[in-house]
Amino acid sequence: MKSKSAFGLLFFFLLGLLPFAAALVYALLYSLGIVGILSEGVSLTHWQQVIQSGELLGSFLYSALLAGTGVSLSVILALLISMGLRTSLQHRFWSLLMYFPLAIPGMVASFLSIQLLSKAGFFSRISMKLGWIDRLQEFPDWINDSYGIGIILTFVLIVSPFFVILFSNVYQNERIAELSTLAYSLGARGNQVFWQVTLPILFSKTKRIMILYFIFLLGSYEIPLVLGQESPQMLSVLIIRELKQFDLKLIPEGYVVAVAYTVVIAIAALLVFRRKEVQVHE
Amino acid sequence: MNKLKYLALLVLGLGILFPFTYLVLLSFSGEWFFPEVLPGYFGLKNWKEILNSESGMGLSFISSLGISLLVATLGTGTGFIWSKSIAYHSQKETWLVLAYFPYMLSPVVLAACLNFFFLKSGLSGTWQGVVLGQYLVAFPYSVIFFQAFWNHRTRQFEQLVLTLGGSSRQAFVQVILPLAKGMILVCFFQTFLISWFEYGLTALVGVGKVQTLTVKVFLYIKEANFYYGAIACCFLVWPPVLLLYLNKRFVYNRLV
Repeated sequence: MKSKSAFGLLFFFLLGLLPFAAALVYALLYSLGIVGILSEGVSLTHWQQVIQSGELLGSFLYSALLAGTGVSLSVILALLISMGLRTSLQHRFWSLLMYFPLAIPGMVASFLSIQLLSKAGFFSRISMKLGWIDRLQEFPDWINDSYGIGIILTFVLIVSPFFVILFSNVYQNERIAELSTLAYSLGARGNQVFWQVTLPILFSKTKRIMILYFIFLLGSYEIPLVLGQESPQMLSVLIIRELKQFDLKLIPEGYVVAVAYTVVIAIAALLVFRRKEVQVHE
Repeated sequence: MNKLKYLALLVLGLGILFPFTYLVLLSFSGEWFFPEVLPGYFGLKNWKEILNSESGMGLSFISSLGISLLVATLGTGTGFIWSKSIAYHSQKETWLVLAYFPYMLSPVVLAACLNFFFLKSGLSGTWQGVVLGQYLVAFPYSVIFFQAFWNHRTRQFEQLVLTLGGSSRQAFVQVILPLAKGMILVCFFQTFLISWFEYGLTALVGVGKVQTLTVKVFLYIKEANFYYGAIACCFLVWPPVLLLYLNKRFVYNRLV
């Protein structure tokens, strides 16, 4: 029995953890100039160059801003839908329909955003038909724009349905309806019940998933690749762009960004899933 | 229910169905020039062209399906078996936090940092490499997913079988597997979707030789061939819709 368990842990280590460790170590060695085609021995030059250029910090802030806005808007929209239409969403038809958007992957969502939100897209055509705009140029820039509006809207499109389902499930599982009735019977008003009963329970039960979604969106690739602009770029796009460039001397800089991003994710995992939290959510 | 709620429900329903309808409409369209709201042509032309030509759409669908089924089977199978070792380990919390590292990292960044090893092992540009790359993401997910199953109750069931004279094999086949059936199905579905939806890692490890449907959609976006892109999107979206319909009862209810 013990040998089986040890073999299981070994298997998990080899296929679950070792590749992650190998990726991190290789990226770190490359960023320090220890390995690589044009390596010239240990050097912090690439780290200095990346830090001085400000692109790493800019990309981190840009990614965090888009991911944070995406998750926040998704949560607000999901709260409005799941609480506002709660009784209807429990109906078999609606509860099934709410699962449909989960079948849309990031690449298809990006494709749809181009089709619908671009200057020659469907909404632009409708706007022209309704007389809201006279020329193509008058339609706002939502794709490949500097504010990442297209990216944020696409994040909301793919994330909010999940939160609608999540909030509806938590509402039922945590018996919030019964708790609300109790609060009403004790003299609470509608607003008080929502802000002091419903919302705190929903948030405390789902905050870890919200953070997880923020981290997923932070590392999102295909949506910013299709809908983003040249600069600033989101982290994953920036890393891949740096690693795939023709100038071999600059490749270590891509690994610098990759190491920084990986370390941030590892720290986030430690903070979010530290011992106490894991035990509470078991 | 007041009128406002009816209106909100109507908007919600239309909003959900619109992307699916639009993709189907676009896939049958042609000559849809700006500023026309409706296409100039509507028919089977695009579908006939793509199915008769050497576009490789059928091959992409088969590649996606094969890779996803393999990743889901391997990820769920090994994840289920080896998650037990972690669940009953004295340092379970530490192992679990470690399992979150590869799961939370962007798959494309993981693949980029591992690309050297894929190249050296000759797996770059092969479907086996893509399967391995996606498995490295699906396996930790599966291990984390099954932690909820290996609880005190499951352990007691297992011990009861052993106490009554059953073997470990009998306990596993006749008690544990039937108990875990629902969760295995959900995990299989989830890991299938992880693989089915994956683009960055697949494009990087597959270097354009392994053309799954997501890779195909990206190629069509780059070519601005939106009619074929819509067909590829239909192939990508409708099978999961069918699976969602079949698995709805199990999905996400256990997450909270």
